[in-house]
Parts: sequence; C-alpha cells; structure tokens
Amino acid sequence: MGGFRSSCVLATCLVASSARARADGDEAALADDAPVEVHGFVSQGFLLSTGNDYLAHSKRGSFEFSEAGINVSKALGDRLRVGLQFFTRDLGPNGDYRAKLDWFFFDYLWKDELGVRAGRVKLPFGLYNDTVDIDAAHTFALLPQSVYPTDQRDFLLAQTGVELYGYRDLGAAGAVDYRAYGGTIFLEVADQPGSPVTVVELTIPYVVGGRVLWEPPVDRLRIGASAQVLRLDGDLLIPPGAAVSVTLPAILWVASLEYAPDQLLIAAEYSRWHVRLESSDPMLYPESRSTSERAYALISYRLSPWLQPGAYYSLYYPDVADRSGRDAVQHDAAAAVRFDISTHWILKLEGHLMRGTADVEPTLNDGRPRAALATPWSLFLVKGTAYF
Amino acid sequence: MRISLVLVVVVVAVAAVVGARPSPSRADESGLRVIVHPESRVISLDRKFVSDAFLKKRTRWSDDSVIRPVDQGPRSAVRRRFSVEVVGRPVEAVRRYWSQLVFSGRGLPPPELASDLAIVAYVTSHPGAIGYVSEAVDLRGARVVQVR
Repeated sequence: MGGFRSSCVLATCLVASSARARADGDEAALADDAPVEVHGFVSQGFLLSTGNDYLAHSKRGSFEFSEAGINVSKALGDRLRVGLQFFTRDLGPNGDYRAKLDWFFFDYLWKDELGVRAGRVKLPFGLYNDTVDIDAAHTFALLPQSVYPTDQRDFLLAQTGVELYGYRDLGAAGAVDYRAYGGTIFLEVADQPGSPVTVVELTIPYVVGGRVLWEPPVDRLRIGASAQVLRLDGDLLIPPGAAVSVTLPAILWVASLEYAPDQLLIAAEYSRWHVRLESSDPMLYPESRSTSERAYALISYRLSPWLQPGAYYSLYYPDVADRSGRDAVQHDAAAAVRFDISTHWILKLEGHLMRGTADVEPTLNDGRPRAALATPWSLFLVKGTAYF
Repeated sequence: MRISLVLVVVVVAVAAVVGARPSPSRADESGLRVIVHPESRVISLDRKFVSDAFLKKRTRWSDDSVIRPVDQGPRSAVRRRFSVEVVGRPVEAVRRYWSQLVFSGRGLPPPELASDLAIVAYVTSHPGAIGYVSEAVDLRGARVVQVR
C-alpha cells in the first residue's frame, strides 16, 4: 500500500504540472506534442433496497459503493504508447479499498489494421465490458447485471497477456473493429464469511477470446459478437477438513447490437455462459454442468447536454435447464436519470424493480438460500462522480 | 488505506474544478473550415475519413504519415457544429467515447485548444495536422480542404 501512496503523490505532482500547463495557455500545449496525460475519477454511491440485501448490506442503506482511479499515459513516438491505471473500490464485501493496478500496457500500433498491446488489458466482451466501471461513459450507475455482473469484476474485467487489435475500412460495407487476446487472470482469494467452503487457491491458467464489431454503412450502428474461453482451477477445503480440487472450463459468448443516432441510444445483447464443474472428489463436491442465459434491452435519450434519462430490462437465468422457482431467474426493470452538472461532475439517480433472486448473494442475506429470499424486491441508487 | 482514497479524492476534485472552467465561445457561428498543414497535398476528404481521424480510428494519411487531429474546446460553437456535421455525433457523445477509451487504456483524445488562432498555429507548425476553425479567422498559410 505504501507503493500506492507513492503513486498517488507522483500522480498529484503530474496533475499539478498538467494544471500549470493549462493555466499557461496554448503555448504550453504547443510546446510538447505528446505530454504525459493524467486522468482520474472518484465515485461515491448510496444503495438502498427492500426485501433483500444486494451487492452490499443495502436494506439498511449502504455507502459501501465507492470507486476511485487515476491513470497516466504517454505516447513514445508515433506508434508506441504506454500507460497504467490504479483503481480502488468498495462494494459491500468486494474491494474494501484495496488498491491495485487496474491496467498497464505498452501499445504498439503498426498500422490501423494491426496493433498489439501487452500487459494487463481490459477484456473486450460485449459492447461495454471494458468500460463497465466508467461512469462518465454510461447513463446507468449499474449496467445490466445479467451480462455485466459488477460483483464478478475481478474475474471478467482484464487479463494479463497479449492483445491484437485493428480497425479496417470495408468501403461500401462499412468498417470492422476487431480484437483477439490470450493470457491469464490473476485472482486474489477473498474472504467469504458465511460460506461453508473455504477457497484456498484460485487460478485461471488461460483465457483466450475475441470480439468483432461491424459498423455497417448506417451511421452509429454497431453489430458485434464476442467469445471467451477460460479455465478456472480451485483448491477447496470442505468441513471438517477435506481438500478437494475443482476445475471449471467455461465458454462465454454474447451477441450485441447498438444504434445511437443523434441523442438516442438503443442497445441489446444476448449471451450464454457454458460452465462445467469437474471435481477431484464428486462425493464431497458434486460435478455439474450448466448453461446460463443472459439478455437485456436498453434505451436512453439525451434531452439536453445535462439531462439524460434511460431505462432497461435485464433477464438472467442461471441454468436454462431449470427455469422454475424464484431462485432460477432474475428480472430487472431499471430506470435512471443522469445529470451532467458540469463537464467534470455527474449525478445519477436510479431505481430497479426486481423479480426473482438468482443474482442475490446468500452470504449477504444471513446465509438464507435463494429460494427463501424475498421477491419481488427493489433497489434504489444514487451515485455521484467527478472525473477529469 | 483510507488516506490513499482521501488523497485521490482531493486530487480529482482539484483537477475537476481546474478543468471545469468554461472555454471561451466562438463569436462567429456562420460556418467552419477544415484545415491541414500548408505542405499537405490533400484537397478534399471524405466525411467518414475526417470523422475517423478525429476519433483516432484512422491514424495515417494515404502516404503513411501520422494524422495529428486537434480539437477546439468542448463549449466552442465551431466544435459543436463540427461534431454534429462531420463527426456525426454531439459533443457530449464524443466526450463519452473518449472517456471510454481514456479510462480503459485504449486511447487518448486529440489535444484541445481554446481558440481559432491556436488551432491555426498548431496546424501550421505540425506536419500531418488537421483542425477546424470558424470562417473569419486568418489561416496564415494553412490549407483548406473540402469535406465531401
């Protein structure tokens, strides 16, 4: 953590020098064509729910909904760029203000059709996975949790390895944006109070995948497909002290559509995640196979530069083979309003009506099984963000 | 731990206040001209090419030299007009596009300069530069390109 403090001090100096350059006017901007770029954000939110605790102990109201990040980037010549971002958050039992390197890379763009990034790089999955925690980029405080589950950010946000990317003009057919990657995901084993199983170690030996976004010759239309293959290995301790090894191969895919003419944004995505659980001792920890189904449709409209309402409907089935019972589904109807107070301050108000409990964490609800949790239920969020 | 968070909060808040000062607005809203470096051989450009250049989806001219786009401030009238007519999306949408790239580590926006004269100075002093200014400004040798 001392390293993080040092980095904050360094970032402070960089921001101060950046602000001084701005105060000196355009002369300074002209003097260095590729200055060190410093950007950052801080968010503080409030969660309040009825029926169930969600993401945090939200029934009594929770301010455990904070994020902060600061990044530094620098172009080294015309083709090479380096950068890193520190990120810390607190979301109920997740994060607890542990600071970590969110991403870091060197990026070599050989030509527009082919570039390579190496380091820790955000995963392109669907339209918004790599921007899911960027409040300035979205109308909603919580993107549809069926496709972008925020409590699984550590598993799904970034990989350490290599990414190839490019953008190609297809003439009359529009253009295509593509990314392919391979690497691993380093995980920290988090405490799981209330869970009967102790996770001793978790590793992801590989993750590979890619995304293709086609931009047809219709302004602001994007059609995409993403796929990801990974394997998660875990060592578990099951009371009274038996050790079990599990392996979870998974295949995730999502089909995406986005249309954003003028002030309107319409998006829809459909996804399935295929997960198999293999156990070294099926008697102690049973093997399983499941396919989850995830989908949403979203709309927002910018009424003025400072006001943007939006709504979405999100649907999640953890197992398509079993759609019965409150614990086998979660419907989420959300409405939100985003206020851009200035070009650097945002306030979001958001309400959710939920039916089903498939995405509710039992350990946050006194260990009660999902089938015994309340439905329907609701969630209300307020979130303010400053960014530059 | 909490001290780190407080420090980051202070840094971001100060920077946000510094950066929130409004840019001067343009007096001339009658039109805009897209300009390039005086030695450029470009006469006209496809609107999609210019849009891609300012979104940094295209980074090279046809002779493989680097495209150096330069923007006006977000509150400038000529920026708003350029954004809608050429880039095809409002300034707010362009800023969100750049927020996505900046905070995911995938790119940095073009530099933003606060006046037509600063844009002209940048374009005339940087080979490969492309910018836009209001119609009345003295171009000091910068070439005007037609956007189809």
